[in-house]
Amino acid sequence: MSTSKRKPSEVILSAHGIVNRFGKQVVHDKLDLEVRSGEILGIAGGSGSGKSVLLKTLVGLHRPDSGKILLNNKAIETISPGEKAALIGVLFQQGALFSSLSVAQNVMLPMREHTDLPVSEQEKLAAVKLELAGLPADSAMKFPAQLSGGMVKRAALARALALDPRILFLDEPTSDLDSLTAGGIDELILKLNRGLGITVVIVTHDLNTLFNICDRVAMLVDKKIVVDTVDKLLHSKDSWIHELLHSPRAMGAIHERKSGHGIG
Amino acid sequence: MQKTSSKAAPGLVVVEDDGGRITLDGVLNIRTLDEVRASLGVWVKKRKTHVLDLGKLDGLDTSGALFLCELRDKHVELAGISAEHEQLLEMICALDRKPLVKPESMPRWRQFIVQLGKGVDDIGRDTYDVIVFVARGVNALLYALIHPSTLRPASISAQISETGIKALPIVGLMAIMISIVIGYQGLVQLRPYGGDDFMINLVAVSMLREMGVLITAIMVAGRSGSAFAAEIGVMKAMEEIDALEVMGLGAMELLVVPRLIAIMITLPLLTFFADIMGLVGGAMISQSQLGIAPLPYIDRVRLAIDMSDLFVGLIKAPIFAFFIGIVGCMHGLRVRGSAESVGRETTRAVVKAIFLVIIFDALFSVLFERLGL
Repeated sequence: MSTSKRKPSEVILSAHGIVNRFGKQVVHDKLDLEVRSGEILGIAGGSGSGKSVLLKTLVGLHRPDSGKILLNNKAIETISPGEKAALIGVLFQQGALFSSLSVAQNVMLPMREHTDLPVSEQEKLAAVKLELAGLPADSAMKFPAQLSGGMVKRAALARALALDPRILFLDEPTSDLDSLTAGGIDELILKLNRGLGITVVIVTHDLNTLFNICDRVAMLVDKKIVVDTVDKLLHSKDSWIHELLHSPRAMGAIHERKSGHGIG
Repeated sequence: MQKTSSKAAPGLVVVEDDGGRITLDGVLNIRTLDEVRASLGVWVKKRKTHVLDLGKLDGLDTSGALFLCELRDKHVELAGISAEHEQLLEMICALDRKPLVKPESMPRWRQFIVQLGKGVDDIGRDTYDVIVFVARGVNALLYALIHPSTLRPASISAQISETGIKALPIVGLMAIMISIVIGYQGLVQLRPYGGDDFMINLVAVSMLREMGVLITAIMVAGRSGSAFAAEIGVMKAMEEIDALEVMGLGAMELLVVPRLIAIMITLPLLTFFADIMGLVGGAMISQSQLGIAPLPYIDRVRLAIDMSDLFVGLIKAPIFAFFIGIVGCMHGLRVRGSAESVGRETTRAVVKAIFLVIIFDALFSVLFERLGL
């Protein structure tokens, strides 16, 4: 992994004292998290540990009960929609492609709304983004309903990249995909991170993703968060983390990484 | 040398011209791209040797990199690029950068003909589907009535509550409003002839024979026909119908029949309710406009109508109900895969149900006229 070569860089997004509760159930209790510019941060946790709520909180879709989110040192609720669109790209779990628009129109929508580029330029850019996301050229005119699961994720990724955001949020990018396709998505995320210098935050269950491409991993345990590199987390004293990272599936993922089948 | 350039807002690109060399200073991204293209376009045309100095470039995104790749393809030399930007540039330049595939465009007249053909084809298929589904519906309904043990009372009563009882307030209100509208319009037309009182006949006869049942049927088509299509459609999209099938339970028996029975019970009752409320509306307007009190009004109504007027209205209700229910369920079961098709099928169900209601109403009018009712 190339993490060692990289200089410790500035914090681009940070959460301070986040509390989220639904009724009496507290999901996050004074949780802190820092995302560094240029890294790939994985967020993991058991079912119902509030991963998706955390993601929504981080991108400003969900207002926490207390605490604040700073994006580029500015409180996220004070950032204008246009500026936010240029800073943040989100890949939703089901892709959330607009079903009435073709794939190319989906990618061009943010450009059309937030820039003054002529249509011919938007089309050129959309073609490049789709190619970056690894979609064949003929998929541009297809509609979301005609795409396979992996292609939906790639198209949604191309749309998330439309305005070249500084941070890319991915909600379960490899869920519902076969392991080959999932591997391809992992590879793509890594390529975009290294090539475009984009910061990536991944919420995932996928141990292969955590082991193979994440620079650091944030584990949601007991309403708090534990952040470290995955190698250090392997020696964590916390029983849940220990169990997760020493489960047979995790062993498989580690084995894959060591034997060089992994990426990175 | 003159300066070929631009408004240097902070963070934007400044283009400086000295000789055959141009320096980009600032950020080249999706926001500044247009400006840079405008300034550089002139420059590229004017000169023969081109060197573009990128040493002062602070930021570059994929759109900027794409632009630089295109310049490089036009033999502009890119100098002084930082390692970080180089990496991005190489990544973008290495792509095929094929133009976006566009659907072949068709001349308008051909599009029109194609649409027309598709439309006719759709109507044909739709008619076929409706006929087939009506037959299946009748079949399932008769089977259920012959074998009452297969009826599902809980489901039927839930549907009666949903399609009937909860529709009472809106149906009643609509009936009152419509009778007031008819009353007012009738009054304006009848007054010159001194036939003010016949407004009561007009309201009573039109509400009982036509408006009561029509308004109720349209309301129920909008309320319950759409609900049938949406409920069953969502079940279909979530594979719940398939799950039923695998368990050996038929959607027809479990979902369609209870709804059909419920709506065929509630629509006549709602129609009767709407008739009463329509007469109440008539009473209100005759009190205020003609000064006829409710009791004399009832006497007038008795003279104006007989039982056949009431039954002409009520007899239509179960038939309208059957078509509203069958069309709603049919479109629900026609949902394919995605959630968006639920919305489309629901809209179609309502449009088709109201269309059928009005068609059958017209047929009934002709029929009753022939029968002398």
